[in-house]
Amino acid sequence: MLRCEAVGKRYGGGRWILSDVDMEVATGDVLAVVGSNGSGKSTLLRILVGLSQPTTGSVSGRPPRIGYVPDRFTGHDRISAISYLTHMGRIRGLSTSAARARGHHLLERLSLVGGWNAPLRTLSKGNAQKVALAQALLVQPDLLVLDEPWSGLDASAHSVLAEFIDEVAAQGGAVVFTDHREAITETHARGAYTISDGRVTSRGGRHAGSRTSMVELVLTVPPTGIMPIEVNWSVLPGVTDTAQRGGEVVLRVAREHSDAVLQTALQHRWSVASLAEAADERSCRADARGTAL
Amino acid sequence: MIALVRYMSTVLLLSQRYLAPLLLFLGLVAVLTGSDTGPLTATYASVAGAMLPCSVWLTMTLIGLEDQAHRSIVVVSAGGPLRVLLATVGTAAIWCLLLMSAGLVLPLLFGTHTPGLADLALGTAAQLTCAFTGIAIGLVCSRLVFRRQGYALVLALVLLLAVLLGKGVSPVNLMLTHLQNASDSADALAPTGALLAVTAGFLAAALAVTQAITRRKA
Repeated sequence: MLRCEAVGKRYGGGRWILSDVDMEVATGDVLAVVGSNGSGKSTLLRILVGLSQPTTGSVSGRPPRIGYVPDRFTGHDRISAISYLTHMGRIRGLSTSAARARGHHLLERLSLVGGWNAPLRTLSKGNAQKVALAQALLVQPDLLVLDEPWSGLDASAHSVLAEFIDEVAAQGGAVVFTDHREAITETHARGAYTISDGRVTSRGGRHAGSRTSMVELVLTVPPTGIMPIEVNWSVLPGVTDTAQRGGEVVLRVAREHSDAVLQTALQHRWSVASLAEAADERSCRADARGTAL
Repeated sequence: MIALVRYMSTVLLLSQRYLAPLLLFLGLVAVLTGSDTGPLTATYASVAGAMLPCSVWLTMTLIGLEDQAHRSIVVVSAGGPLRVLLATVGTAAIWCLLLMSAGLVLPLLFGTHTPGLADLALGTAAQLTCAFTGIAIGLVCSRLVFRRQGYALVLALVLLLAVLLGKGVSPVNLMLTHLQNASDSADALAPTGALLAVTAGFLAAALAVTQAITRRKA
């Protein structure tokens, strides 16, 4: 769907905030962009949604309906939350009643505290963040871009946000979000990009030592001696390699699919002998390319 | 586009920041045309002169209302910065039309005149000429172009003085001096209309410049 090719960005004659970024977002993707503060995450997202023009390179295939939640939504407006959402819905082409109904529905799901008719400026950071989130979902987006969406949200809103992300992905949309906490990106994203020194690498490339995208899974006949059911491992999603080693089955599985494969194995009465991180050939290549650059 | 204009007008209305330029305009009209009995051409020339700073102020206020995050959301929702900029100009123009209707009626109440259709048409054209010029100045001095509004204010004042006093080059100056000396509205209508077209061109140019600079800075 959306494709960035050799995108670079700098403001005026300043330092390069992003350089040589290649990124592809496909339908149904949930991608995380991880990086420290000031690493250029927000700039990358602004380029993705078309708010910012890349200095070099190009972005193609941007879908028509984009939902964007900026990192800061400081409401100094006197307009009320529900009225704001109604206006935003109308700008997106909804009728007044449809926009208002959709706004009500979203605020109800996010359980906005502080009154729907309260001016935006009186809302707390978390509640303002909920309004920002709601406006991005007024129409089902083809691309949902969230800049640090979890910051300021309470625990119950966290799960609602996860539901929203899944819904968008399930309906053929793509989600890209940033966060600096790895725990959150691991739970919610199905793929990740790491951003540092202006370069963006697919997760597992630059930080191969700390994180791998492949898992080696060794399965055996359980010690109880019950024969497990045969499974055609190579057709399972994420399995890149299968091998027989004595009585053991050795599988190489992509990290995002390893839990599902593990579950299948256990359901078919296989016993897990070991589970280890494995070097990913793809990321090794990416690493080599990164060094060459 | 209508939805955008509605949204911007609501934000401006709720912010109450429209009040200062509105009161300045009403005050200027009252002072300049109070107990005036001369020909309406000169009266409407004064009103048009009052429209100029007020339209600059309104436009700069309107654009300065929204912070970057809000504007980003509006731009993404509307599907592009150009549409938002056009809607901003549209909103400013609508508010100037409100001022203009007051500017047409109030001199008739304050002074003693016998207005004809040509007088009202001339008043409209003259005020629109100044409103277009004012919106154009407001755009290039807005927060979209100048992050630091102090410099923008200085530039706005310089530009205002230039268009008011630029003898022989500024369409506003040409129009105002012409109307001060004209006595018949119907005769003055054609040259004023021509100058209105010129300032519409100014506005389009200011829009293009603002759009280009905003895209470059984004």
